[in-house]
Order: sequence, then C-alpha cells, then structure tokens
Amino acid sequence: MEHSPAFRQGRRRLLAAAPAMALLAAGCGRSAGAGRDRLTMWTFKQSHVKALDAAAAAFTAQTGTKVAIQAITPDDAFLTKVQAAARTNDLPDVIEVHANGDDLSFGGAGLLEDLAGTVGRSWLDKYLPQVRKDGAVTAAQYRDSLTEGSKTMGVKEGQRFSVPLTVGTFGIVYADRRRLASAGVTEPPATWEQFIDALAAVHRTDPKRGGITIGVQQPSTALEWLMQPMAFGMLGKERFQALFGSDPSKGFASADGQRVLTEYGRVTPYWMPGTAAKSIDDADLSFAQGKSAFLVGGTFTLAFLAANGADPANIMTFPVPPPARAAIPGMQLSPFALTGLSVTRTSRRKDEAMAWLRFLSQPDVAADFGRAALDVPPNLLTGADRKAVGPLLTTMLDSFGTGENAYNAGDTTYRPSLYDPGKVGAVLAGYTPLKSTGARQTGNHISSMIKSYWAEQ
Amino acid sequence: MAANLTAGTDAGTPGPGSAGTARATGKGRTSPAGRPRRTARLREALWGYTFMAPALALFAVMGVYTIVYGFSLSFAQWNGFWPQWHWRGLRNYTDLLGGSPTYAPIVRTAALNTLYVMIAVPVLTVLISFPLALVLNSIRRFQGVLRSVYFLPYVTTGIAVYFAWQYILEPEGAINLLLQSVGLGSLSQPQGWLGNPDTALPTLIMVMVWSAVPVSMLLYLTGLQSLDGSLLEAAQLDGAGRVRTALHIIWPLMRPMTLVITLLNLRDALQGFQMFLIMTNGGPGDSTSVLGLETYRLAFLSELSPTLGLASALGWLLFVAALVVAFLNQRATRRTQ
Repeated sequence: MEHSPAFRQGRRRLLAAAPAMALLAAGCGRSAGAGRDRLTMWTFKQSHVKALDAAAAAFTAQTGTKVAIQAITPDDAFLTKVQAAARTNDLPDVIEVHANGDDLSFGGAGLLEDLAGTVGRSWLDKYLPQVRKDGAVTAAQYRDSLTEGSKTMGVKEGQRFSVPLTVGTFGIVYADRRRLASAGVTEPPATWEQFIDALAAVHRTDPKRGGITIGVQQPSTALEWLMQPMAFGMLGKERFQALFGSDPSKGFASADGQRVLTEYGRVTPYWMPGTAAKSIDDADLSFAQGKSAFLVGGTFTLAFLAANGADPANIMTFPVPPPARAAIPGMQLSPFALTGLSVTRTSRRKDEAMAWLRFLSQPDVAADFGRAALDVPPNLLTGADRKAVGPLLTTMLDSFGTGENAYNAGDTTYRPSLYDPGKVGAVLAGYTPLKSTGARQTGNHISSMIKSYWAEQ
Repeated sequence: MAANLTAGTDAGTPGPGSAGTARATGKGRTSPAGRPRRTARLREALWGYTFMAPALALFAVMGVYTIVYGFSLSFAQWNGFWPQWHWRGLRNYTDLLGGSPTYAPIVRTAALNTLYVMIAVPVLTVLISFPLALVLNSIRRFQGVLRSVYFLPYVTTGIAVYFAWQYILEPEGAINLLLQSVGLGSLSQPQGWLGNPDTALPTLIMVMVWSAVPVSMLLYLTGLQSLDGSLLEAAQLDGAGRVRTALHIIWPLMRPMTLVITLLNLRDALQGFQMFLIMTNGGPGDSTSVLGLETYRLAFLSELSPTLGLASALGWLLFVAALVVAFLNQRATRRTQ
C-alpha cells in the first residue's frame, strides 16, 4: 500500500512520540516515590504542617537531611491516598497516623516498619508513662486481630508500628468565657449538674446562639466524647465497662444503662440549632464563629479553633464532668497517644527516617512543636520545656490524670472487637439530639447491637 | 477518482470486489502476483489493529479487568491493604440481604430511602418540567433568556450548588428567613431543613428535582418543537382549550420523551450519591442514607474495616436493580410504540 509523504511523516512522529508518552505516564505514576533527594512525610493534620516544617529546618541544620512535609486532608482523603500509594508502591518515608488505630491496620497489612527493636527504653522514657505502650501491639490487641474481619489482622504481639507525636483525650468541653460570665458562670462546672445548669443559664441569655454543639454527623462523637466520660464517672470503671460487655443484663437496657441515658438526655434542650447536621469541622467552626457557646471536642480541637479565628484567651476548657453522686466524683481524663509517627516498609531512607523520629521525640523539640501546633506533645515536660508549650496547653497537661479512676478513652479492650462506635452512636443520636426515640428504646437497641457484635466474636 | 482506483489496483491494493473474484477463481492463492497482494492486505490489517489497539487496551484495563476484579472482590473480604483477599463466597451477599444484624438493617433503610427517591424524583421532575416547557414554548418574548435562566441549575458545578443549598437550608438560612418574613414562621425548621429527620429526605429530593428539571424541560421543549403544527391547529378548530390540548393531544405525543426522562432520573436516583454525601452524609441518623452512599461508605469511609468486598457486593446488587429498571423501561417503551 502506498501512502503519502505527509502520512508517512505523521506515522513516524506518532511512533517516536509513543515511548516519550509512555515515559511521561510512568513518571506521573511515581511522583513521590522515585528519585527522592529528601525524606518525605505525610500528615493528615494541616495544623501540624508549620510546626513540622520548623522542626524539619532544625533537623536539617543538625543532620543535613532535608524533610518535605505534605498535608493531605481530611482524614478520609488521607486514608484513600495511603491506600492508593500502597498499591502503587509509592508511599513516603514517614507518615503520621492515628495511634492505636491506623498504625496497627497499616502495620498488620505489612506497610509499616516494625520499630520494636529500635525504640528502646531510653527513647520511651521521654514520654508520659500513660502513652509509652501506645503504638505497640498488646496481648489484647493481638487477640482482637484474630477475629475474622478485624481491622488489625496480621499484627503480632510485641510489634511496634508508631511512636507518639501528640497525646490528649476526647471529652474536653470548650466554652466561651465572656458569654458564660455574662450569664453568671465564672468557674468551670465540676459536676454534670453544674454543667447542665451552666448550659441552661447561657441558653436563657441567648437561646439562638447559647447552645452546645458537637459533630453529630459523625455519630460516634456524641457517644464517645460526651456520654462515655460522664457514664464512666457516674458508674465507675467496672460497671461502665459492663455496659459494653457480653452480659445484656448489665448493658444499656439495664438499670445502670437507663440511668446513664436519662442523665445524658438532660442535655437535649440545649443543642445548638442544626447540630444534628453538623460535621466535626462544621461544629468547631460554629463555635469559633460564635454560633454556639459550648463545644465538645478533644485536646486536639484547640488548634482548629485558633486557626479559625477563636480567641484562645476567651476559651474556657474543662473535662466532661461526672454527676455529683458519681462513683468517681473527682474523675480525671487519662491521656493517650492521638497521633503517632510511622516509618514505611518501602522507605529507602530508613536510617534518616528513624533519626527524624528520634529528633521529634526530644523534649525541647516536642515542646516547640506543641506550642507551634497548639497540640499536646507526648513528652514528660519539665521546667523550661513545660513553660514553652504555653498556658492553655499547660492547663490541659494539668488536667490529665492517671490510674484506675482516670477515664482513658483510648482503652477499648472491654468492647467486642467488631464493635462499631459509628453505628452505635447513630442509635444514640436518635435519642438526642434528634428526639425520635426514648431512653428505653435506645437502651434496648444498643444492647441488641452489642449482643450481635459479641456473637460474631 | 477513477485514476486513484486504478492506481490502487496496480499497486496491489484490491479494488471493490477483487478479493471475491480471486477467491471464486482460486487464482489468488497460487498466482505469484497474489503474494504481494496478500502482504499488502496483511499490512493494512496490521495498521488497522495498531490503531484499534489503544482503545482495546483501554477497554481491557478500564472495562473488562475492572469488572472482573470488582465482581471477584464481591466474594471476598479485603481492606485495600492486606496482601491477599479472604474468600467469603456468597456471605457478602447474604449478609447484605438479611444475614448480618450489623449490615442488613443499614441496607434495608438505605433501600427504602432509595425507593422513595426513585419514585419522587422522576414524578416531580415530569410534573414540573412538562408544564414549564409548555409555557416556555408558547411565549414569544424573552424565550432565550428564560431558557437560559431555567437551565442555569444544570450548568452550575454540583458541589458548589450543594454547599450553597446547605447554607440556604440552615436554621438561620434563607428558606427559614423567607418563611418568617411572609408570616409562615410556623413552617420554618428550627433545626434546619437538613437537621430534622422528617424533612431531610424530602428536602434532598427537592434539590435533586431542582437540578433535574433543566434537562428534562429542554428535552420536552425539543419534543414540542418537533410536533406537527397541523395537529394543534385541528384541535383548536375543534374547540379544544389550552389545557385540553395539552392533556389530550400533546401529553400522549410526549410519552416517549417522558419515558426517557423517567429513565434518566431513575438512573440518577439509583446510583447518585454525591449530593447525599456532601449535604448530609446520610444523616441525621440514617434518614437520608441511600444505597449509593452506603456502597461508598463501605468502600472508603469504614475506617479501614475490611468492607471493600461488601461494598462491591452492594454495587453489584445495585447493578442488578438497574438492569431490572432498564428492562421494565424497555417493555414500557415497546408498548408505547
């Protein structure tokens, strides 16, 4: 077949372009993995980026190794990105993870380096005693991982897949100091009853903007951040844990469960209008913009509020209090590792990655990071380092408790391994703020769900 | 043209019918002149396949491979990270269809909500877009401007629109303010239109209808403009009023268009979930969860639970439902022709 010169020239160009296009496509697919001249790190917290950048500059000055920090938000996008990068062998060297959660899931799937042999006693002694085990696989976590369908399948007892970067707890109430004062509330409520009274007082002065909010669109928040701390203080550790146990006679349908639900239901009249449709970020924004006078979050919420215009000097914080006649009247909250640092298995710079982790664990570096990120570092801070984190974080550090009577939201060992707080929280949301069910119906429903989780154990 | 054909034949390219002639005489297989002709044919075929190859490869990777992969995954348990899948056989399907006390109630609620959406959206879309098209078709002035105005919802980016609606529907949003300002404050929603489980789904349905009306209206307009004018004139001469003409002459003639509009909206109602994800994430409670959203949640929002297989199984169940809808639509179309 004869073809015109123009056709032949076009064909030659096409054939010549094909390998170049293939190379381009291959290059696009390995943007983060190949040809790295620096350590790369991903985080899911935008508020950590500046603080990590500052720490990275100090690390480069000390070691010569550069660190590139990239934030991928929100959490869901981060997880999807890690999922995709793992499939294409394109993970960064270091990733920030939810401690005792994502780290164990990723680790069990073989994405993360086991740090147990490297992170020794001298390293861990720099941290608060309560968080030293966080990131390592306990006997209970290993047992849970054996259940079919477990998120952490593949882990082995004693492995460590992360070291703590930030610590804290859920169940911290943020309140607008000035608006509380104008309603006559000048001290943080010490009991659940005082808390409800404070809600009522502020709500009276401004029914539209004086309410309380939380990200109910993710229904586990109201359950885990507000109801559970109150219930723990009310019932004490053993009876609280029995609510989630395999014996339905001690569950949410029992007298204890009903007392908890009834007490918790007292918050219903004071929800900010529209709370039921708010995501966590939306709820935080509402508080920062003055649309609500109270917000329930965690120690990690402060950075987001400050970044969105809330004045830290006008914020009063206090832990969710237990009722006056509670089993643990002066209940405190035990901190646990919220986020950790992990090294990926595919990293080509493991030594530098470990040096970066070790650098961030130094008390002075951690204190600087904490102040810059407005997040609580995991270290045992004393003297100048403690002052360096600033007054608000020091207050939070002071509110942390230890021992049996401190509520540890990070302890989930008493629940069935397939327990899903989102689904249980959705039932609770039907009770309050939605008011579509009563305490009795809610208790029965949650009890039957927990029973089914145990049955699948 | 004739010169070209001759040149082609001389160079060994068969002209029309030449291959048939060669086969009939048997000369093409044995004659020495047949060899270059065969080579040329081979080369031509090769070029043809070379140009087709990218499309075939793309379809093989993006189509066949994905379908087979997704279907296989629906029989397995996987979280996207594990090195291998764990086979569950039909358990993903049976769990979704009633076997699991955890997942079956979620699917049941989502299926019911999806059904409401599948009925309400097409019906309301037709009820609004047909009269709108009739009115637009009958007016002479500003027709182009009005068409553009009514078409605006369709050309605006979905996500931006959803966020805008969210603000409008908030407790202090425009809808509540409007109701209060015209003395209908009792109808306003103190928790916002998306914060009340009783109003959230109907509100989302209205937003869906709002974004579906423009295309439907345009389709009806196209149909109306292709109508035979003599039919309408005959109706007028017989004394039929506008309403009578619309209901008894135009509406039956628009039935094929109505079927197309219904099918398009059914498809959106069955598979679409972006609006539900952005505006309510299925809430409050589970009042706006739909099957498409639950599939997405199981796949990507399950906090690393190994539910990708369940998501895939739910996706295939949705596919079967879509097939049934398509079959019913085909039957209905046949009946109207």
